[in-house]
Amino acid sequence: MMSFLPQYPFTANPLLLFGLLLLAGLIGGEIAKRVLFAPRIVGYVLTGIGLGAGGAGLLDAKLVREAWIFVEIALGLILFELGRRLDFTWLRRDRWLAATGLIESALSFAFVFFVLTWLDVGLLYSAVAAAIGIATSPAVVMVVAQDLKSEGQVTERALYLTAMNSVIAYVTATMLLFWIHHEYRADLVTVLLHPAYLLAGSAVLGCVAAVIAIQLARRLGKSGRGHLVLMLALIAATIGAARMLGLQVVLVLLVFGVLSRNLDRRHDLMPFDTGPIGQVFVVVLFVVSGAIPQLDDLRTGGVLALVYVLARFAGKSLGVMSLTYFSGVRRGAAGLLCLALTPMSALAIAMVQDTRNLYPEFGARLAAIVLSAVLILQILGPVLVQFAFRRAGEAAEEKA
Amino acid sequence: MSEQAMEFRPSAGCSMGVELELQILNSRDYNLARDAADLIGMLEKNGTPGAVKPEITESMVELNTSIHAAHESLVRELRQLRDAVARAAERLNLRIAGGGSHPFHDWSDRRIYPTERFRHLLEVYGYLAKQFTIFGQHVHLGCPSGDAAIYLAHLLSRYVPHFIALSASSPFQQGQDTSYQSSRLNTVSAFPLSGQMPFVHSWSEFLGYFEKMRGYGIVESMKDFYWDIRPKPEYGTVEIRVFDTPLTVERAAALAVYAQALARYALAERPLPPSREVYMLYNHNRFQACRYGLEGAFIDAYTQKHTKLREDVLETLQLISPHASEPGSAGVLGELAESVKAGGSDAAWLREVFRERGSLNDVARMQSERWMGKTAVSA
Repeated sequence: MMSFLPQYPFTANPLLLFGLLLLAGLIGGEIAKRVLFAPRIVGYVLTGIGLGAGGAGLLDAKLVREAWIFVEIALGLILFELGRRLDFTWLRRDRWLAATGLIESALSFAFVFFVLTWLDVGLLYSAVAAAIGIATSPAVVMVVAQDLKSEGQVTERALYLTAMNSVIAYVTATMLLFWIHHEYRADLVTVLLHPAYLLAGSAVLGCVAAVIAIQLARRLGKSGRGHLVLMLALIAATIGAARMLGLQVVLVLLVFGVLSRNLDRRHDLMPFDTGPIGQVFVVVLFVVSGAIPQLDDLRTGGVLALVYVLARFAGKSLGVMSLTYFSGVRRGAAGLLCLALTPMSALAIAMVQDTRNLYPEFGARLAAIVLSAVLILQILGPVLVQFAFRRAGEAAEEKA
Repeated sequence: MSEQAMEFRPSAGCSMGVELELQILNSRDYNLARDAADLIGMLEKNGTPGAVKPEITESMVELNTSIHAAHESLVRELRQLRDAVARAAERLNLRIAGGGSHPFHDWSDRRIYPTERFRHLLEVYGYLAKQFTIFGQHVHLGCPSGDAAIYLAHLLSRYVPHFIALSASSPFQQGQDTSYQSSRLNTVSAFPLSGQMPFVHSWSEFLGYFEKMRGYGIVESMKDFYWDIRPKPEYGTVEIRVFDTPLTVERAAALAVYAQALARYALAERPLPPSREVYMLYNHNRFQACRYGLEGAFIDAYTQKHTKLREDVLETLQLISPHASEPGSAGVLGELAESVKAGGSDAAWLREVFRERGSLNDVARMQSERWMGKTAVSA
């Protein structure tokens, strides 16, 4: 009887999930903006926390896994756009900026590593957690900059430093895989070749995508719409290929972005702006990444997380404050840059997930430290970045 | 403004000085950036003080040369300033471009440079203040007296279409081809105090006019008049303000030399009396120059002759070349004549780049490469 009716319990599908997460995020974002006067991102994250395992429990581990593809698409778009901004020639002209990027990455790693080992966290855990902490959340910095239409030296330098420290974090964490594999008695081939495959594979795939993009764009001519479709198609295909080949989506897309700018000597590619499409994925990105860290993590790893956050901030700030003056930016810019580099978000979560997929036990213990720090910085980070860009006078005036 | 400021301070006959308003671009999509304060700050730190000043919005910067008698020293200083600004810009990941307009920026994105005067202008003129993000070259010509300045201003008015057509470099505005060679001046015309100096015959008569306007509370200083040509008593100069900023400093220097030779000719020979007819035909001739450049129609107020503007420019070049201040300047006038005959112009170059590349981002990029001295990149 009435077998045409759907059976209860209903089974959800990814599209329904995507739409609902988007709606929930939209509402949360507006509440954050209107009631808390906080950036919308904070609202998305709070929505995620509310829906996640620590809150209403609607967005459980299984649904998060289903929604993860959207997070990867969003991260891919953001990293690609960030990479497109990177012009190597600037780093050559302003070597102090390049030096700042190296020093702040090194110091934040060193500070976090030192403090964690001092608190009796195992060496390997400390090292991997410190490597993940090198990265500033590209999603938060990019999205806040776009939301505020922020433009100027603090914004530009924050984005460059973020791109640099994201790459350094990935490379460092990947190198540490040698050690993790060794610790878990993987065979020698895995120990040696897995990290090499990840780094080289990601670089090659990103490079191939960039070359294809430039070649096709040259034949396409200068059509804004055509280029948008072309780039979206290539970004989607590249993300898919990275997953298929077991490579790191984030690193591949960053390489794709950077090379599509720096190999494009004839300026065949038009400026790329994901526009509303990117924003849609961004909402889902933050809702899902809000749902992942669990409040339980914070309860067990609370003190460690706090120490982690402070040590990381101290390392980054020391690096930035010591060298930014030589770059010739105005007084006060260095302090604001330090604030702008604090966020941690989906990128850190993705790195934890990668380790979790390899060695669940190791990943779980790592998560307790890193994810509780992410929980704090996902909420605090956007507020600090927004403050920094506004204070620097680089946010656009609100249009009526 | 004190009485003293309106006292005309005589300066060496037909010395010249140049102001160039320049575009600050980002290196991402070559839209206008907002980094004027950081750029000026860096130049001050590196010891180029005074020569670089803020303009009404944060996307502009103004270069000022010192006073010159000859082309050679002028172009040398302009190149030095260009190199200093270009170096500072590169360190901040910015680009600098010439040209009278940015091809595709959206005026509503502009922000007023935070000084009291510029904020006041925003309050008075509203959106016009932001639309004023256009880029001109001003040429100052030294005059021995206030009366000479008044005479010179009237005489130069006949040649305003020349200045417009020779410098025209603003074919694009707000992402569109305007069909004009210089669309920049249409924006200037919207201001209530734009236009021309009144038909006065002496400095004392001019002062009478100025005092009246100040008495009404319409102006406070000479700065409030946005005339095409205005006397500048505190510098002892007549200032020509209709030039679009050219795409290169070399072109800017050549235009200054053209104006200088005209002024030397005018003040030495006093060939023509000030004429109301010039002002009757003024807007017609000016419009033709803005719209069609050197191809525009020109009516000579003194002879009532109709010609192409190009012909009148070439005739004038012949007439004034004996008045070039030195051999170097004469050579520059010769080159200018060649370029007029060849029909090239900055506006035409910009349109050609757009036709070739099909993207205004590329136009802005190549505009900046041309100004900063990297034409080789245009593969």
